[in-house]
Amino acid sequence: MTNPILITGMGIVSAVGLGKAKSLEALLDCRSGVGKLKYLKTEHTEFPVGEVKLSDSEMRTMLGLPKNVVTTRTALMGMLALEEALKEAGLSADMLPEVGFVSGTTVGGMDMSELYYLDYIDGKGHMEYIAVHDCGSCSEMIADHFGKFAFISTLSTACSSAANAIILGANMIRCGEAEIVVVGGSECITKFHLNGFNSLMILDTEPCRPFDATRRGLNLGEGAAYLILESAESARRRGVKAQAVLSGYGNACDAFHQTASSPDGEGAYRAMKEALELAQLQPDDVDYINAHGTGTSNNDVSESQAMKRLFGDQVPPVSSTKPFTGHTTSASGSIEAVFCILALQHGFLPINLNWSQPMEDGIIPVSKPTKKELRHVLCNAFGFGGNDSSILLSKSDLP
Amino acid sequence: MNFKSLNHTTMEELIYRLKQEIIEALNLEDMKPEDIDENAPLFGEGLGLDSIDALELIVLMEKNYGIKLQDPSKGKEIFKSVTVMAEYIQKNRTK
Amino acid sequence: MIQHFVHITPEFAFVDGKALNHNEKGAALLTELYRAHIGDYPKFFKMDTLSKLGFVASELLLQAEGELRFEPREDRAVVLFNRSASLQADTNFQATIQDPENFFPSPAAFVYTLANIVTGEIAIRNKYYGETSFIVLERQQPQVMAQQALAAFLDPMTESLISGWLDCEDENHFEAAIFLLKKGQYDNAETVSKEITKIFNIKY
Repeated sequence: MTNPILITGMGIVSAVGLGKAKSLEALLDCRSGVGKLKYLKTEHTEFPVGEVKLSDSEMRTMLGLPKNVVTTRTALMGMLALEEALKEAGLSADMLPEVGFVSGTTVGGMDMSELYYLDYIDGKGHMEYIAVHDCGSCSEMIADHFGKFAFISTLSTACSSAANAIILGANMIRCGEAEIVVVGGSECITKFHLNGFNSLMILDTEPCRPFDATRRGLNLGEGAAYLILESAESARRRGVKAQAVLSGYGNACDAFHQTASSPDGEGAYRAMKEALELAQLQPDDVDYINAHGTGTSNNDVSESQAMKRLFGDQVPPVSSTKPFTGHTTSASGSIEAVFCILALQHGFLPINLNWSQPMEDGIIPVSKPTKKELRHVLCNAFGFGGNDSSILLSKSDLP
Repeated sequence: MNFKSLNHTTMEELIYRLKQEIIEALNLEDMKPEDIDENAPLFGEGLGLDSIDALELIVLMEKNYGIKLQDPSKGKEIFKSVTVMAEYIQKNRTK
Repeated sequence: MIQHFVHITPEFAFVDGKALNHNEKGAALLTELYRAHIGDYPKFFKMDTLSKLGFVASELLLQAEGELRFEPREDRAVVLFNRSASLQADTNFQATIQDPENFFPSPAAFVYTLANIVTGEIAIRNKYYGETSFIVLERQQPQVMAQQALAAFLDPMTESLISGWLDCEDENHFEAAIFLLKKGQYDNAETVSKEITKIFNIKY
């Protein structure tokens, strides 16, 4: 890209903690946030999950929201993440009318809907939660808590939603529609998708082991993360510094199956290749790949093939951070982008927890804590529907 | 015909019923039980079923016959054909 | 500017402004259109109503275009918009997990509980390896849709775009208002927005 886009703020909440500092600590300490179900009221307690360690009422208190305000877990997590991002970028409420907001979610307010569904049907009240069920309402609640944004858009492309929000925001800046766009996503765990993923038989009853020969599936997670994308011109004018640079991105369709990935990783390969081309970089410029790496039998084969096709014998260090947070679905693209930026800023490779046995024909991930100066990193997020995205992030003070 | 009696279902009756259930569960529009060859492969050629269909067949076995299959990879052997599936069901059904 | 467009509701189906004959209404109309004009894709019957709608609408659109099909290509993006996301599919799936006494989550139903599965279905059918996306809006907003769809042309590989409104609340409430746009055949988002408003008769 001739005019790289800067990232001038970030905010995050996930199973490993609230905020960048807690996230960095967990990554460096190799400490996972995946464990037994605590907050979601379900019978399926056999699945390890990456829950955010805050109840809804704790989050309300932190955000100063009284009990009678109608809101949902996805929105609450989104607000916590957005608060941190806006603060870092120095964006106060009066500046928001010049700022866009693009957020990805799939379940929206489903947590409340499944809690109150029978009450609705039996006429027992809680009808006000119907209005906040949908994806768009979720984005609005998150945005409205801080002020009036220039526009609010909601992306819903499953597990690539947040990554695609990053791409959409970047495109809007590139074509002059905006100078600053907040991008990312939020998603809470619900019984709906816990049961759904279970019906596809891709959940593991043990902590997940991406790229390991014994992997049996993914662990679900929840969380939110937002990045502030800003044109270099605007950042200069406002006197804010860049946390990192968005150098490139790509989105391609695997066009193979509704939920499974192609054996040769076609969509993933194309998405990563496009990200490199946009950034005008070569494969050997990439110092680390944060893989989608869900730990399912299918994804890890497909993604390994895609990486080998693109990088040949020189696949850079790869890890999946999903053993830390679980698979945070719609939020994963932005949560993992924040992890990538922390890695760029602090010079280390996030490890692929729980790995011990190489899979046949798979990549060998980073399994030991490693310090490394990183210049450019790729961050992958693949959604059902074959919607494959890859984001290329670079260190902010490269010559 | 009433297929509810566990003890009196012959293999023929079970195969016919299973074909009806498969057609319904997998949305095989325009197909009648007579159109399905009970010895032909269900996957690959023939009906061209995919991995999601295999999962639906696992749900069908639990729902209609009380058989819980924990390991999806066993599906390959059990769903070789309608006949093989019916034999497995007859042996393991709890409903 | 927009050479081909398809408009389908539970009551009617138009291709490039011309009405198609039909006897059925609602979801049955989609099956009727499938049998009359397509007919070679049994996977149609596994789809939820949103995917059936998107499938039929895109098939009619591409038949109107009349160019070579089913060859792998990456120069065509699919960017769709709606309000209801995957509501009908969600309702179907919820029904399979609602009753604790009859609890059988259906994988085939769960597969469709994502708005962008329909973009995947269109890509699988046509071997499109280009960009796909799905954006949820409060209502059909031609201005917003035009801006966000045209962002797809920033990708140098994208030469054409299938885009538009594809919404389904249930089997009797749905609308497809989709179009095919080629790169360079428009001045700006404003003119595309006006054209979309005109051809689909969108009222505010």
